[in-house]
Amino acid sequence: MNTTIHATGLVKAYGRQRALDGLDLHARTGVTGLLGPNGAGKTTLLRVLATVLPADAGGLRMLDQDPRDPAGRRHIRRRLGYLPQDAGFHRGFTAFEAVDYIAVLKEHTAARARHDEVRRVLDLVGLADVATKKVRALSGGMRQRLGLAQALLGRPEVLVLDEPTVGLDPEQRMRFRDLVSDAGRGRTVILSTHQTEDVAAVCTDVVVVKGGRSLFTGTPAELAEVATGRVWVDDARDPRAVAAWRVGAGHYHHVGDPPAGAELIAPSIEDAYLLLLGPQAGEGMGEVA
Amino acid sequence: MTASQWHLDPDLVRRYADGGLGSVLAASVEQHLVSCPDCRTLLDPHVGAARLDTVWADVLERVEQPPRTVLERMLGAIGVDDPTARLVAATPSLRGAWIAGVTLVLGLALVAAYADPQGVGLYLVLAPLLPLAGVALAYGPAADPAFEIAAATPYSQVRLLALRTAFVVTTTMLPATVAGLLLPGSPWIAVAWLVPGLALTVGTVALSTRLAPHLAAVALAVAWLGVSLRALAPRRDPLLAVSSPVLLASALVLATAVAVLVVRRRDLAELLRRTS
Repeated sequence: MNTTIHATGLVKAYGRQRALDGLDLHARTGVTGLLGPNGAGKTTLLRVLATVLPADAGGLRMLDQDPRDPAGRRHIRRRLGYLPQDAGFHRGFTAFEAVDYIAVLKEHTAARARHDEVRRVLDLVGLADVATKKVRALSGGMRQRLGLAQALLGRPEVLVLDEPTVGLDPEQRMRFRDLVSDAGRGRTVILSTHQTEDVAAVCTDVVVVKGGRSLFTGTPAELAEVATGRVWVDDARDPRAVAAWRVGAGHYHHVGDPPAGAELIAPSIEDAYLLLLGPQAGEGMGEVA
Repeated sequence: MTASQWHLDPDLVRRYADGGLGSVLAASVEQHLVSCPDCRTLLDPHVGAARLDTVWADVLERVEQPPRTVLERMLGAIGVDDPTARLVAATPSLRGAWIAGVTLVLGLALVAAYADPQGVGLYLVLAPLLPLAGVALAYGPAADPAFEIAAATPYSQVRLLALRTAFVVTTTMLPATVAGLLLPGSPWIAVAWLVPGLALTVGTVALSTRLAPHLAAVALAVAWLGVSLRALAPRRDPLLAVSSPVLLASALVLATAVAVLVVRRRDLAELLRRTS
């Protein structure tokens, strides 16, 4: 297996709170999805992987380098693309200038070659037509694609994307997933999300994160299998289920330990995810019914 | 447009397509091509996809490259290379609003000084805070919307901080000194604030290894206001704001800050990562 990221027992604490509490992650070529609720430690983990934040303890090797060593860190940064959560740009810059500025920081010094590279990535994300528009005039979806464009500068081997589909409408989200899928060919993409649909659509591997630890590592199909035999439908809500919600025609979809004789159905990634997170994860969904 | 009565020589068309004609001849060939569909068919086989791509890339290079800002052109004129000029132009505090703010503060201080001789004190208290504020707004997660992206790039954060600090200090200290020369009274006033100004600025950078830059700046600004206003209050002599004890204290802060930066320069990068 061609593993590009090896993280073992990562710890990062903010005061008394441990955002990462002994987390393990091994990522190979393809798209690895980090799935977890808000506050699970996804953003902290991605900031550590992006070399922006040093971990307090644990082992981390990326692209055969140690990010704690300044030379190793520079080496990783040269081969890394990072799209942080709430990626910002100077609003007075045009889309072209905003990406050009990041290109300078990524050591593209020769002006003409740099401009060609900026145009290449803007074209990849479908923003070539708005290159001369100011960032403040772009829609939220366009700004998110602008963020992806800068991450793709210099064809990085590792791409770290923090909740890239948040705030996008369904159509934009589908387009964005296509872009991420394409980007995942031949490189390692780490994508955090709290949407199971993102995982089903683009990920080759998935890691479920909760409380700063990884609860599951495997393929999306393997994740769904976790819930085999533990998903059933019934006409009434079963209070003992880990999660239950109303589906069409007045039925209730349950995840948990089924009662004898229950009508079992094939599990989805979402079922397995809710089962792994345990009772409190289903609360938000239960309220819907 | 009507078709022409005459047509281009095939060899001429080929040379035009290769870009081998002089500009005058090329222009008249072009003039004819625009109005004559027959000759355009003649042109077709000579234009390869590769040449079209090059021409298109050249067109985009001119069209999409926005005219460089006044600041970038000025930097170019004093020999700053193009990528560095772009980094400086992205400094949040070097944008229009900041320059307007500096001008306003200096203007107010001038008005105050002419209205009342003691108003000079206002200038002496405010001027050292200008480069301080500029530096606080030049770097760090609170000031720079692209900070998080920049932090993951191979470009040295220490270098970026130093570069921006240098330009902010230059661009605020120059107008502040000019304003000082316009003040009534001794021309010495125009330079009297430079030592405290530098001390506050370098102090902010040194303190940034412990605190986020904007917090470091606030802490030092409060300290400066306390010291200078106290010196100014009892005898109402404006120069007391930067008189010898204040100058001495400023020089001490400056020396300490420089010493901290020299001693810790190797871990500065590491420290900046931690405060971000």
